[in-house]
Amino acid sequence: MNKRLLGVIDATTVHEDLEDLSLHRSVAAIPFGGRYRLIDFILSNLVNSGIESVAIFPKYQYRSLMDHLGSGRNWDLNRKRDGLFFFPASNTGNHYTGIGTLDHFADNIDYFERSTQDYAIIANSYTVFNMDFQPLLDWHIQSGCDITEVQKNGKSLGIYLVEKALLMDLIKTRNETGYFNMRDAARDTSSQFQLCYYDYKGYAVMVDSIVNYFNVSMDLLKPEVWKELFPKDRPILTKVKDEPPTRYEVDASVKNSMVANGGVIEGTVENSIIGRGVKIGKGTVVRNCIIMQKTQIKENCLLESVIVDKDARIEAGTVITAPADAPAVIRKGTVQGVGSKS
Amino acid sequence: MLLAGGRGSRLHSLTKSLAKPAVPFGGKYRIIDFPLSNCTNSGIHTVGVLTQYQPLLLNSYIGIGSAWDLDRKDGGVTVLPPYAESSEVKWYSGTASAIFQNLNYLDQYNPEYVLILSGDHIYKMNYELMLQHHEEKGADVTISVIEVPWDETNRFGIMNTDSELRITEFEEKPDNAKNNLASMGIYIFNWSVLREYLIRDDLNPESSHDFGKDIIPLLLEKKMKLFAYPFKGYWKDVGTIQSLWEANMDLLDKDCDLNLFDQSWRIYSVNPNQPPQYICPEGTVSESLVNEGCKIEGAVSRTVVFQGVTVKKGAVVKETVIMPEAVIGLNCVIEKAIVSPGVYVPDGTIIRPDADSNEITLVSEETIGELQSN
Repeated sequence: MNKRLLGVIDATTVHEDLEDLSLHRSVAAIPFGGRYRLIDFILSNLVNSGIESVAIFPKYQYRSLMDHLGSGRNWDLNRKRDGLFFFPASNTGNHYTGIGTLDHFADNIDYFERSTQDYAIIANSYTVFNMDFQPLLDWHIQSGCDITEVQKNGKSLGIYLVEKALLMDLIKTRNETGYFNMRDAARDTSSQFQLCYYDYKGYAVMVDSIVNYFNVSMDLLKPEVWKELFPKDRPILTKVKDEPPTRYEVDASVKNSMVANGGVIEGTVENSIIGRGVKIGKGTVVRNCIIMQKTQIKENCLLESVIVDKDARIEAGTVITAPADAPAVIRKGTVQGVGSKS
Repeated sequence: MLLAGGRGSRLHSLTKSLAKPAVPFGGKYRIIDFPLSNCTNSGIHTVGVLTQYQPLLLNSYIGIGSAWDLDRKDGGVTVLPPYAESSEVKWYSGTASAIFQNLNYLDQYNPEYVLILSGDHIYKMNYELMLQHHEEKGADVTISVIEVPWDETNRFGIMNTDSELRITEFEEKPDNAKNNLASMGIYIFNWSVLREYLIRDDLNPESSHDFGKDIIPLLLEKKMKLFAYPFKGYWKDVGTIQSLWEANMDLLDKDCDLNLFDQSWRIYSVNPNQPPQYICPEGTVSESLVNEGCKIEGAVSRTVVFQGVTVKKGAVVKETVIMPEAVIGLNCVIEKAIVSPGVYVPDGTIIRPDADSNEITLVSEETIGELQSN
């Protein structure tokens, strides 16, 4: 149990480069790795670090995010004391910007006042990693830091650690200091605070564009990355579905791919990530693709370097190929190929 | 009332430390998921689960019933183990005595009808339809029956009925059956009738306190209205290694009546929350069911693979059931087997039936030990 830490997830970010995948959902809720949503990584990391109070600050299109998180039961956050808190932006006219927007926190200052924890982690919702925050907290305290920014190879990972009392000061004095968000506070070299930078050695990538999303997904097929992201003792938790095991038919040929439950595979799949409940028809070849949940690909199709969002249908005989460095995106719920009205 | 105390001794070491209803099935489930999911899907939200033999795993698996949506303010799932009274500890000596000792539980709900189920069978059934049949017939007791092959009637309790399906005679494992309608061990009782006959049965020192052997014959003798409810569909008692293996293989048949993919009748289970399965560049999988958390580097065909299983390079696995967290070592050859949960099969192990035999091998820690000492 980590009684000293609060978890704060900023889920307000919008990436224009991810628009095709985030038209109907916040970036935090973008499906990833066959059965996860991006937010599962930070949320599971917080929970696996023993944190029992997690606040989520969303802004746009948070229906799918709320549906995903529910009461927090899948992360063991459905608690009487502490647990999961949800603080949507109270006024969509507010121009919150950056990770850890102090205005947004100010609207919900009660949460910080009522909580008993001494420190807060403020993190973005779209980093793919598996990190224990306890060593970070120990380091922060030993080094006498006021504000710590977590970095990877000298670049910010959009994760900050700060004493809660100082966070509340930053919130209250934001108009005087001119700090809009945590990054402003962590990067002001003229500040009176002891600013620290913690270098994280493990695998960590912020997902902020389609190409980047595609590449990080493909990284999952590297055994060393898979092992690091999904160790048995620090599982990435997600909303569970009651899908049966995936069924491979006689003609199925699957190589170097990750496949989630509930699928039926009759065709050929190579170097791909297949989501829950996906159907891949006979004679179809799916190569270097990301197919999200419940999408159906009928017979004799060829898909190469394509990201197919949820609930799409690819009619028989359809060919969609794209260069590996510029993958195509088929939007959620659309129908492609013969007889389609796209 | 779900009878889940069975030992399942013919499943050998599989049930050494867990009750038969907790035995893994179908790549993801435990046997008890089927009756529990049937209850939820039939709109039954108050379920008592009677446990006795090796209850630890079963109790923690059922928990508060949230996996089956049975965590309810009113009713929900209640695990009912045997308990001590001021005078003595009362073990459940038979199916009827198990229910009798929980009359308190039933009294507190005072229901109109009581459904009695066993936790030993794989099937999907809408108990609501059975209850409708019960009401239409104005029955005191309805027993669900299924047609079994004539040459197997001597393995079952056979119900002889009139043209209205009223049960006239019950024969336990008859040599020359007059009928092939076998009891599925699923009963609907009018609560008042059940209560009365359980109390009578308890007072009879000659009774073995079993529904099939004692209660049903007594009801027939007293000319109570017993009706058969014919069930059509997949139903299998998975009481032996052979039948457990067969039932798993049935799932690989595309036309199998037991459709796990039917969204309108989901079979719920406690989800292990493991990452998606990873099929390596060297791996091949065909005609198989594979669950989360598996890593397949070898060749797998006509096999049911549970969560967290690893099949290493060069291994060839055919017509096999690999239970959770087992590891198949490098270059193993496994055919027609059930690999027990968590077993590590060492590199190069070869397990397959002799050419003239079709016997299914149960691969357990002991089997591996014997192989190694040879």
